[in-house]
Amino acid sequence: MCFNSFFFLFFFMLINFFFFVYFIMNGLSVFFEWEIISFNSMSIVMSILLDWMSLLFMMFVSLISSVVIFYSKSYMNSELNLNRFIILVLMFVFSMVLLIISPNLISILLGWDGLGLISYCLVIYYQNLKSYNAGMLTALSNRIGDVMILMIICWVMNYGSWNYIFYFDFMKNDYVMFIISFMIIIAAMTKSAQIPFSSWLPAAMAAPTPVSALVHSSTLVTAGVYLLIRFNYLLIDMFFFKVLLFLSILTMFMSGISANYEFDLKKIIALSTLSQLGLMMSILSLGFPDIAFFHLLTHAMFKALLFMCAGVIIHMMNDIQDIRYMGGLSLYIPLTSLCLNISNLSLCGIPFLSGFYSKDLILEMVSFNSFNLMVFILFYLSTGLTVFYTFRLIMYVMINDFNLMMIYNLYDEDYIMLNSMFVLLFMSLLSGSFLSWFIFSYPYMIYLPFNLKLMVIYVSILGSILGFMVSNMGIYSLNKLLLSYNLSSFLCLMWFMPNLSTYGLSYIYLNFSQILFKNIDMGWSEIYSGKGIFNILKNYSVFYNIYQMNNFKIYLFSFILWFMILFIFFFI
Amino acid sequence: MFFFILTNNNSNKMFFLFILFFSTLISISSNSWFGCWIGLEINLLSFIPLISNSKNLLSVETSLKYFLTQSLASINFLFMILIKFSLLKNFDMNNIISIMMNSSLLMKMGSAPFHFWFPNIVEGLSWMNNFMLMTWQKISPMILLSYYFNKNFLIFMIIMNLIIGSLGGLNQTSLRKLLAFSSINNLGWMIFSIMISENLWLFYFLIYSMMIFMMISLFFLMNMYFMNQLFINNMNFFIKLNLLINFLSLGGLPPFMGFMPKWIIINFLLINKFYFLTFIFMMTSLIIIYYYIRIIYSSFMFNYFKMKWVNLLMKNNMSLINLSSFISISSMILSTFIFM
Repeated sequence: MCFNSFFFLFFFMLINFFFFVYFIMNGLSVFFEWEIISFNSMSIVMSILLDWMSLLFMMFVSLISSVVIFYSKSYMNSELNLNRFIILVLMFVFSMVLLIISPNLISILLGWDGLGLISYCLVIYYQNLKSYNAGMLTALSNRIGDVMILMIICWVMNYGSWNYIFYFDFMKNDYVMFIISFMIIIAAMTKSAQIPFSSWLPAAMAAPTPVSALVHSSTLVTAGVYLLIRFNYLLIDMFFFKVLLFLSILTMFMSGISANYEFDLKKIIALSTLSQLGLMMSILSLGFPDIAFFHLLTHAMFKALLFMCAGVIIHMMNDIQDIRYMGGLSLYIPLTSLCLNISNLSLCGIPFLSGFYSKDLILEMVSFNSFNLMVFILFYLSTGLTVFYTFRLIMYVMINDFNLMMIYNLYDEDYIMLNSMFVLLFMSLLSGSFLSWFIFSYPYMIYLPFNLKLMVIYVSILGSILGFMVSNMGIYSLNKLLLSYNLSSFLCLMWFMPNLSTYGLSYIYLNFSQILFKNIDMGWSEIYSGKGIFNILKNYSVFYNIYQMNNFKIYLFSFILWFMILFIFFFI
Repeated sequence: MFFFILTNNNSNKMFFLFILFFSTLISISSNSWFGCWIGLEINLLSFIPLISNSKNLLSVETSLKYFLTQSLASINFLFMILIKFSLLKNFDMNNIISIMMNSSLLMKMGSAPFHFWFPNIVEGLSWMNNFMLMTWQKISPMILLSYYFNKNFLIFMIIMNLIIGSLGGLNQTSLRKLLAFSSINNLGWMIFSIMISENLWLFYFLIYSMMIFMMISLFFLMNMYFMNQLFINNMNFFIKLNLLINFLSLGGLPPFMGFMPKWIIINFLLINKFYFLTFIFMMTSLIIIYYYIRIIYSSFMFNYFKMKWVNLLMKNNMSLINLSSFISISSMILSTFIFM
């Protein structure tokens, strides 16, 4: 099953690649449309839009998913129901493809809901309590986005069909489009885990590592960004885009800080993904959709590679994900550490790897166009923080002493996993330049002063030095985290925002409902309906029995009495 | 009744049974009020030998109590007839004399507020005599009631019947007293139906007597007089089911048979805007169903109560029980096929 789906997806990737090259060189885009039913004033059509953006994205999705499926043949080989896993992954890819190629809100909804549902199924794949909680958090956060898209469908019915791309030119200043833009931004924010909804992404690391590599690094979380790229023409000078800028910058900053306090390997990578997502969203909301798309694609490559390396390391470390147990791995697993290092350096934006092209372009565009001071500071600070946690990670995992056990076997030569990582390694080295030659038919004009141009390098060097210094732990090192406990816990726990989605939603209501239940359900309503009425009737019956248990002459006398009463009563 | 008479080796009582039937016919088909009174008297005279059994002190006392109340009622009835003849030469019904006549007839029937003798006497009679008392003895006073009644007075009496029938039965453990109070409650429904039309009363009465017959024959076969006797014997499942269905049917629960007459009466009530009366009918029915269900649920539901140290074998004559269950369950639905 693995090999079949790997070959199918790889072949699909090649087809997409060739079509992409043909389409972008000739400036083509193809629009298929099949009208299913036309009912009163709405037409329900199934349409497929193939332009260079969707073909490119499909190529990358199918490449990563084929590599991940090949990887999971070895990673999950002790899994009894591997076929079930592969089928879930294939369904996920199918939903993603449906989302990518659709210019039509109904098929976007199908893809979107499919993504949410299947990512839930994949997160709860290991059936333990942590996975259940994580899956519930993931599914419900994504559900908010689904509801938003449903409401958008409802509002777009004003225009007569659900093909939104035709209406952007004409209806830009309409009130309906205002509502739709608000809702689409919230939908994208839930899917891409921006600030109010960001608690599900670190929690979803309870999923198996191939799932994290495919879903939580490159495809699911970028679906929101992709949707906003499609809707970009509508949103470009709306107020909500500036709100999105604010929130995504804060996401970028916050997750960069929180990644520095984390000790779980996959959580660090998840927070790094969150930070890069914030970067993508913020550059999108500044008005550069193609740069956002470019960064989306390159980020997909090296992040998937990073997750796969993390998977190999976790397998080797006897399923331990805590980086404090790891160390010195560069000596023992050279090929895996090669992949890990290249993807980490690409994440930092080291020159001429793939991440450099997109990240550097983003930072130079931010410096070149005049935005306000906070945007500038937070962008550069987040870049520095990226380098900081990356170097900290490399120090803990690769360079410091090995912390696990006295006797160990660090086995790297699993060539199935390694071959899949090499494919992504190749792409992660070259995709930056290759994409920039394709996507940008002419380069951006950027004219910066010397120090501003080197600002990236300055913050990177600063971050790397700090990363090196933080991870130097010895026997007598003071635990600086405990010194500033309040500040540290605030920064470490993602600024306490996960409590919004978990504790805050359940505790208040459950507490209130306990009060209601005790006082009303088991209190006053018992007195006024169930138990109370029974007591009243019982007392009436007991009272009646006093009259019933009497001598016979009393009965006869009562008859006479009744006669007289009735006589008088009705006579009057 | 016939079984009982025959098994007790006392076929002299058959004679009195026939006279009982004829007395009712005399009473309802007579031209003048005097004939009605004659029928009522013969009814009383022929019922007393049926219920008295000189070997049993309780029986004697019961028949004496019955004689006293019924004769008091007959005397009153005769007196009011004579007053009506002599003082009132009119035909309108809503006056004081009709109140007095109706009161005496209500006392004959055992309806509130003259009902205090009814549970006592029912407690002293055997099941078959109870059946006679609860069904046949109500016919002639009811029909006489329909000839000359006072509407306001009767509605007041109906409400009293319903309330006393429901509240009085809540505190009882003897099955006879329970059915007595249920009978008082159903008297309320029957009086209202006879105010609507005699045809409707006949319909209600027939269904009521059929239901009472099924219940009483079940209790008679198992010789059960008190609630705690429900658990002593080994009732098999179908007898318990039959008991459940009959009780629910008597309470007026759809889809059983007993729902049909109540439904028609409620229909009439609502169409003619008797809303308050409908409310009282409904609420008292709920109380009555409550104490029916209370009787059987602990012997019938999943964890039912069964005493195992007394192991009585029961003769389980299934055909009658099956037939009565079938009739109770399906007759309402089948009647829609036949009549509508």
